[in-house]
Amino acid sequence: MGAAIAGLGMTELGKVYGRSPRRLAADAVRLAVTDAGLELKDLDGLLVSHGLGGSPGIELAQTLGLRDLRVLSLMHAFGATAGAMVAHAAMLVQSGAADTVACVFADAPLKPEQSSGAAYDRSAREYYGYGGMTASQGFRSVNAYYALAARRHMARYGTTSEQLGAIAVSTRQWATMNPLAQMRDPITIEDHQNSRWVVEPLHLLDCCLVSNGAVAVVVTRADRAADLAQPPVHVLGWGQGHPGHAMERGSGFGLTTGAAVSGPTAMKMAGITVSDVDQCQIYDCYTITTLLTLEDYGFCAKGEGGALAASGALGPGGRLPTNTGGGQLSGYYMWGMTPVSEAVVQARGQGGERQAERNEVVLVSGNGGILDHHSTLILSPTRPGAGARAGR
Amino acid sequence: MAIRRDGRTDAFFDGALRGELVVRRCGECGRWYAPDATGCAGCGAQRLEWAAAEGTGTLVSWAAVHGRGGGPASPIGLVELAEGPWLHAALAGVDAPAEGLALRARFTPQEEGEPLLEFVPA
Repeated sequence: MGAAIAGLGMTELGKVYGRSPRRLAADAVRLAVTDAGLELKDLDGLLVSHGLGGSPGIELAQTLGLRDLRVLSLMHAFGATAGAMVAHAAMLVQSGAADTVACVFADAPLKPEQSSGAAYDRSAREYYGYGGMTASQGFRSVNAYYALAARRHMARYGTTSEQLGAIAVSTRQWATMNPLAQMRDPITIEDHQNSRWVVEPLHLLDCCLVSNGAVAVVVTRADRAADLAQPPVHVLGWGQGHPGHAMERGSGFGLTTGAAVSGPTAMKMAGITVSDVDQCQIYDCYTITTLLTLEDYGFCAKGEGGALAASGALGPGGRLPTNTGGGQLSGYYMWGMTPVSEAVVQARGQGGERQAERNEVVLVSGNGGILDHHSTLILSPTRPGAGARAGR
Repeated sequence: MAIRRDGRTDAFFDGALRGELVVRRCGECGRWYAPDATGCAGCGAQRLEWAAAEGTGTLVSWAAVHGRGGGPASPIGLVELAEGPWLHAALAGVDAPAEGLALRARFTPQEEGEPLLEFVPA
């Protein structure tokens, strides 16, 4: 008995003010349940996750008036959480521990009249201790750490800023066709190169957005999902990878990520190989994250991610449509729920103008910390054993 | 913008005032760590000692932090100490950064507060 995603709920995303993470999460769960053709009372499981703007808490169940839940928990593996939640929900329904589980992410780091960067910045007038000294010298946000990762990859493999720019451009091409995307004006490599440095070698257009909002999905048994309102999105495989790179001699920081472990685990479970993947929804907090993840999954050899991006493979009409909703770079930043939500839309065939031609196997990634944590999902509109994938 | 002591990493600043790069080392297994490490991931020891490193290392990666208001960018890097651990550190005078570039620690006194550690070409 398999598991499937039966409902998707998304609040307004972006500069959404005046709603707490808990309120946003409640709204997203209601939307997901309605989308599935269910009612709140049909839920017997709830998994909750959050970003940096405060947690909905498991009190969310109270807010929603949920009674007699069989499963209720917070989950937190940074940006890998959404994939981990869906995997956990799939295991819950397959084991019989629960029947219908909502997984929700909410965040509200943006404040009115404050820049997006300020939401994640650690600037101060006085700094304390060794860590304060390094913060004062520039280690004030994750941008610095991802910039060091990007530069290491560049130095080792010859990856260029223009190749990272190709990822920004192809991701934006997709975003122009997504009404939910926050950034929908087309950009060129020149625009990327001319955008201001955030932390060199990362330009502004290498960095994701910051958004307020919430996204929820409802996971249930595949046989039950078949009778509900939306086309089921079957969960064929999942995995995680946490490389635990020690910051010392011999570290693979910036060169390899948990995708190298997570991907094969998920693909083996789904009974597929990398050549079966029709499209990718990749956690793209930065362009370099997309590049590293695709390399580690094996879509190209290590060090050739830049060439893959520059080939046009990732954009509309390319051989490996990637981040078809605009990702986190141009779409919306709901941590791991950004790739999960677009994967559901694509697997259902509801992408409208941006619907990729093939959606039989959709790969979804999550990434957390500074490339420290990774999760993978393999999703499909076809139920395992139903035969549509046979002979591919 | 002054650096103040925090009570947990004071030994680093005591070393800095002597011109010594004082970092962490496991008293049990001898593994070296950055000054903000809190325990030994190698042997599980809960306490790390303070120990003077040679103060030399090599460049692993580098970046430049740009402020919103313009002005000069702040060069930063990952520096692999001769003893093995990596430090997230400021760079100075590194005009031709490259993997493996030899560096040495330098401490620059400030008008107010503690000195700043930077790595410069060896």
